[in-house]
Amino acid sequence: MSHPDPGFVSMSFDSDTQRKIVSHQRTWSPYVDNGGTVLALAGRDYAIVAADTRLSVGFSIPSRNFTKIVQLTDQAVLASAGMGADRQYLHKILRSRLEIYRYQHQKEMSLGAIAQLLSNTLYSRRFFPIYAFNVLGGIDANTGEGFVFGYDAIGSFEKVKVVCSGSGQTLVQPVLDQQLAGRQKYDVPDDQRMASLSLAEAIELTRDVFNSAAERDILTGDALELYAVTASGVRCERFELRRD
Amino acid sequence: MAGVGSGYDLTTTTFSPEGRVYQVEYATKAVEQSGTVIGIRCVDGVVLAVENLRGVKLLRPDSLRRIFAVDRHIGIAVAGIGPDGRHMVGRARSEAQNYRSVYAEEIPPSLLAERLASYAHVYSLYWHVRPFGCTILIGGWDASQGPCLYVVEPDGSGYKYRAYANGKGRTAVRTALNKLNFEQLTCTSAVQEIARMIHQSRDIAKDKPYELEMAWISEASDHKFARVPGALVVSSRQAVEEEPQQMETGGSTASADRGETPSTSTHIMEES
Amino acid sequence: MIETPTHTTEPIVTGSSVLGVQCVDGVVLACDTLASYGSLARFQRITRLHQPAPGVVIAGGGEYSDLQQLFRITDNIFRQEFCQEDGYELSPRALHSYLARVLYGRRSRMDPLYNSLAVAGKGRFLGCIDLYGTAFESEAVATGIGALLALPLIRKQWHAALAMDEGVRLLEECLRVLYYRDCRALRSVQVAKVSDSGEVLISEPYELSNLQWKVAQAAEEV
Repeated sequence: MSHPDPGFVSMSFDSDTQRKIVSHQRTWSPYVDNGGTVLALAGRDYAIVAADTRLSVGFSIPSRNFTKIVQLTDQAVLASAGMGADRQYLHKILRSRLEIYRYQHQKEMSLGAIAQLLSNTLYSRRFFPIYAFNVLGGIDANTGEGFVFGYDAIGSFEKVKVVCSGSGQTLVQPVLDQQLAGRQKYDVPDDQRMASLSLAEAIELTRDVFNSAAERDILTGDALELYAVTASGVRCERFELRRD
Repeated sequence: MAGVGSGYDLTTTTFSPEGRVYQVEYATKAVEQSGTVIGIRCVDGVVLAVENLRGVKLLRPDSLRRIFAVDRHIGIAVAGIGPDGRHMVGRARSEAQNYRSVYAEEIPPSLLAERLASYAHVYSLYWHVRPFGCTILIGGWDASQGPCLYVVEPDGSGYKYRAYANGKGRTAVRTALNKLNFEQLTCTSAVQEIARMIHQSRDIAKDKPYELEMAWISEASDHKFARVPGALVVSSRQAVEEEPQQMETGGSTASADRGETPSTSTHIMEES
Repeated sequence: MIETPTHTTEPIVTGSSVLGVQCVDGVVLACDTLASYGSLARFQRITRLHQPAPGVVIAGGGEYSDLQQLFRITDNIFRQEFCQEDGYELSPRALHSYLARVLYGRRSRMDPLYNSLAVAGKGRFLGCIDLYGTAFESEAVATGIGALLALPLIRKQWHAALAMDEGVRLLEECLRVLYYRDCRALRSVQVAKVSDSGEVLISEPYELSNLQWKVAQAAEEV
């Protein structure tokens, strides 16, 4: 990363001092990885958004009850892994943007619109990224069908049926692929496999993968928060996970 | 342009041949039309009071205040144009905060008065600004000197007073203030005196109803700015309003004076 | 022109751990009274606890100059609050959120306030903020080395019926452990108690008692 002022490097200080000044300024990073795993999964008439509640800094756990999930509307729930402070900020501004939308349009923002808004918000910080890995889940207001969106930190996103992000991603995503996406590839057509997964089965699967992630990933654990979005609203459930 | 100023009153940058700056004098006129404002320095604190005229009956009590906290130990009462006064209060608050950030101490009221006077003065020097249409009464508690009262006028002058009054009822009130014994006057009795003075300066037939707004920085309030307890204000006011026409003569002269004669300079200025 | 660094990216004069625990009748905060200059125990009688308004106490570790700046900032908002006279008062939770925004804003400008804070307030409020602006509420908080040494101890002994006096003793025990093991800790400590109703009691600095160094002797003999 070069200094915005090109004259910065050749100055009255000798190059050694120069280097020290520059390196001194660079020892501090504005980022910290607070870990955690988030997951979103969509069925025919529901969506699940789930995350663990651990906040890690290195090997220590400052909080065992730090929520990663925010309910944005009655039809959309967002979960973010990554840096705690950044996601608190992201959740705060998204909620306020949604509030303004509500006042201006006299209705809730649709799931697709929220997905685009989130992408735009992340991309607006393309060169100082918000260190958050988001999964957005919800149901389509018109059809009632569940959808989820997976993001990277700078706003690329994809509309899918199931996605996992965060520190447990490498443990969880393959299982999800095998259980859901993989099966649909060989056995049954896409939509039908996901469509036949009931909400209860999906919750079971979610609990299983989080328990599995907590077994091996030290940044995931303490408790699982699970939001189930259906036509009748959003339901939040909580399950204990390993605390070690 | 054949008015009073005869062309010399268009900006503050023009003196009249008699050496007057008309724009500033007009600003003082704005102050004189205000509801009566009184400040008294007592032995145990300083009291600020405003006859807050209520022309509009739908106004809620306590709205459109004219007394403001500037810091924990200083309050300001405004006579004249309210918004001009609020601007001065805003300036006073930032001066107080700035002083604290530099010296880690509360700003002495004397210094605040000096700075606000300089600030007001600047608005009498340029054609593109108008003077403040307000006189502000600064009541404060000085760490070394105790309670004190300063007044900053639209022309940018600032004085230290024992007691001060301005606004519609000023003539009668100033006469009454002259009769007080400041060596013994306590805040509580000052509150009662003020209620009487304001009541007697009014012409019940003509004047709009008023709300009596009072604040003090006193020993009772732990040397901090505080509103005078509502019960005390109400009882003081009731006491004078229920008095039979006892002070009738004084009352009628007061209402005759009201808002007519310009200042005859009967302020009680402190010799230092 | 050369730009000299104007941002704190490395603290100079620093305070160590801050501890806090939620009790059944209030909240307790504790820390020592040292501000170190590197490994030098430079300022031994400074206070890292601050009460900006009735019913709120802030305690902080990290760069001491930044901490004083934060104390001034909080003093100013409460002074503005006083002048407002609108009948509202800033709750401890609101202050906690505000400070989190301040710290997050500074880290986002790459000019962090190098502190970790604990905020305690009436209504049994206890929150924690770090230099990145990560903020949360918790029944037990510990910053710095305290997060490693003291937090497990507090969590282990914490229970919902913990009284404030027990809380004080618990935190004293943690400070003792820190004094044994944290090279940047001091024997002189301060404790703040904030009751449910907002009564605040900040102790004068006092020395930890019952220190036990026999173990060190034993180690020498081995």
